[in-house]
Amino acid sequence: MLEVKNLVKTYGNITAVDNLSFTAKPGKIFGMLGPNGAGKTTTIRTILNIIKPNSCEVLLNQRPVTKDLFNSIGYLPEERGLYKKSKVNDVITYLANLKGMHGHTIKAELNKWLTKLEITHYKERKIEELSKGNQQKIQFISAVIHNPLLLILDEPFSGFDPINQQLIKDVILDLLDNGKIIILSTHQMDTAEKLCSEILLINEGKEVLSGELSEIKKKFGGNHVKFGYEGDIKFLNEMDEVISFDIYSNTAEVHLKDEVKPELFLKKIIEKVLIKHFSVIEPSLNKIFIDSIKNQKI
Amino acid sequence: MKKAFTVAKWEFFEKIKSKAFIISLFLTPAIIILFSVLPTLLATKESDSTKAVGILDLTQKYFSEYKSEIEQYKIGGNIPAYAILNNYKEDLSPDSLIKHADQMVIENRIDGYILIRQDAEDSIKVEYRSKSIGNFQDVARFEEAFNNLRIKRKLIEENANPALVEFIKNKVNVNQIKIEKPGEEGKGGFESVFFSSVIFILLLMMMIIYSGQMLVRSMLEEKSNRLIEILISSCTPKDLLFGKVFGLSALGLTQIFVWLVIGISLIGAAIIPMNAFENIHLIFIYFILGFVFYTTLFVGVGSIVSTEQEAQQITSYLSLLLVLPTVFIISALQNPESTIIKVLSYIPFTLPSVMILRVNVSPIPLWEIATTFLIMILSVIIVVNVSAKIFRFGILYYGKMPTLNEIKSWLKE
Repeated sequence: MLEVKNLVKTYGNITAVDNLSFTAKPGKIFGMLGPNGAGKTTTIRTILNIIKPNSCEVLLNQRPVTKDLFNSIGYLPEERGLYKKSKVNDVITYLANLKGMHGHTIKAELNKWLTKLEITHYKERKIEELSKGNQQKIQFISAVIHNPLLLILDEPFSGFDPINQQLIKDVILDLLDNGKIIILSTHQMDTAEKLCSEILLINEGKEVLSGELSEIKKKFGGNHVKFGYEGDIKFLNEMDEVISFDIYSNTAEVHLKDEVKPELFLKKIIEKVLIKHFSVIEPSLNKIFIDSIKNQKI
Repeated sequence: MKKAFTVAKWEFFEKIKSKAFIISLFLTPAIIILFSVLPTLLATKESDSTKAVGILDLTQKYFSEYKSEIEQYKIGGNIPAYAILNNYKEDLSPDSLIKHADQMVIENRIDGYILIRQDAEDSIKVEYRSKSIGNFQDVARFEEAFNNLRIKRKLIEENANPALVEFIKNKVNVNQIKIEKPGEEGKGGFESVFFSSVIFILLLMMMIIYSGQMLVRSMLEEKSNRLIEILISSCTPKDLLFGKVFGLSALGLTQIFVWLVIGISLIGAAIIPMNAFENIHLIFIYFILGFVFYTTLFVGVGSIVSTEQEAQQITSYLSLLLVLPTVFIISALQNPESTIIKVLSYIPFTLPSVMILRVNVSPIPLWEIATTFLIMILSVIIVVNVSAKIFRFGILYYGKMPTLNEIKSWLKE
């Protein structure tokens, strides 16, 4: 279990993180969400002991995170990069060495991971000769090769094509079975929605929402419908039943007032526009994200 | 500390494999040899072919005797160094004779000619006229030969004992001897001391500048691709700093070792005087201390840069500091006891190179060696600690260079 208590970090006059506390449990993916500059990276760096916070207590299984725990932590930073002129094999071996691993274990694990990520033939190549996606795979391996207890992934899917995104997703879910604590920081809401069971939404260094994803959805909002249509739906603006809505290409997600019955709403709009499908839904994480951030600003 | 060793190993093997390193390993000594050995070689090298030299004796008193005097100089076995030609002809005026001889020089038919004439006050005037001036050896020989001739003549005129003539011809030269301990003579004059000191100082500087730049550049890479975050979450900044300094020092030692091998093989070939390595143990210690001092400084200061331009600026400022003592090389050689040299040998930035110089020039009392060692070791410890603190923050610092006040606040934490 990872506990972060009362994290405060200021840079001069700017408060990057303001009194943030949360707990990430093993066997679950903990989603850390927030817009750019919300304080996600600062929070991660504090957990990793890279920067010193003004105040904070970070406990991993009841022990404070110091250099003794470095070997139990894996980290995939958002900005990727490796020693370009060096060989894949050498770079991973070096980074694994720094995580306290030794010769033959590294060899075995390295081969296992290269096979898993389908890049065995790049082992003796220089990093700079690899495509961007394959470089990212190398970096992913260097984050997980030492079988860390706590794994922090900052935007792990960016830069991957859909096939490789699926591959990495499966690998992450596999790791979860081994009882790891995984923190996933991202602004891709659909991935977070599919992978995370608990989330923490932060903005301007403060907590906006936190808890079990299903709980949050229940709490956030009762009455949501989604429909596919053809035509113009500007009239939603003038309807009293509607609290807010989001339009995607030819589908709309609408937040209705609690007392409005979805079937009555359907009757009303069916007269104005051609409806292709209609369903009652839970609000998407994307909508929760946008609404929460907007509300906070007001 | 174990992780520092891992870092050191990585830095060492990755750098030693790089093409840039391998090239510099052989290029640096080649450049040094080119700049320091070659001029000496060329300057003292005797010409290996006989030169055609004319004599135009307008007084008509000296030619034959002067010719035999000059022909005593030989190159190699028994080949005369100069082939002498008589430029005097009876039926021409002095002016046209000179013009004619000049013409021969211009057309490269002779290397030059010696003009002997009587000026208004009846005294003898000798000139060596050739296309290039600056061949000191030739001129010195012609001068010596002519003076020998004059003295011999005067003595014979005065009916002196012929043995006296021989006695006067044998000149006594003053030799310079360096004393290290009572009764123990050092070898080598000004030139070889100068040469051996300069070669070590040059080596030290080139190595520090080269590895400093390499270090700053590799840190810049780690910073710009955020590898530093992975490194710092795997080991402490101190481990990383020590690892880098160890790795680079090992690299430097490898370099010295290769260069020493090259140097020794050059001694074998008698190109470098052996006494260049007389105080090698002391030089070696100053060398290592200086290297570690500057490398650590480079790591600390280099950690704050985040662009290539800044890296270049910072490395050149530091290198300037390093090169400063070369201004004092000559003065230190001529007067190693001067106040400025004494002062410079107690300032950690200039201490290593000035001491390398002084060790070569004159014996240094034990207490002074001990004091300078102590100063250097203390400075290394201070620089390690200060650099570690700057490094801790510097490596995570992006954007513009930090102000002095910011760095001060880092040092306080």
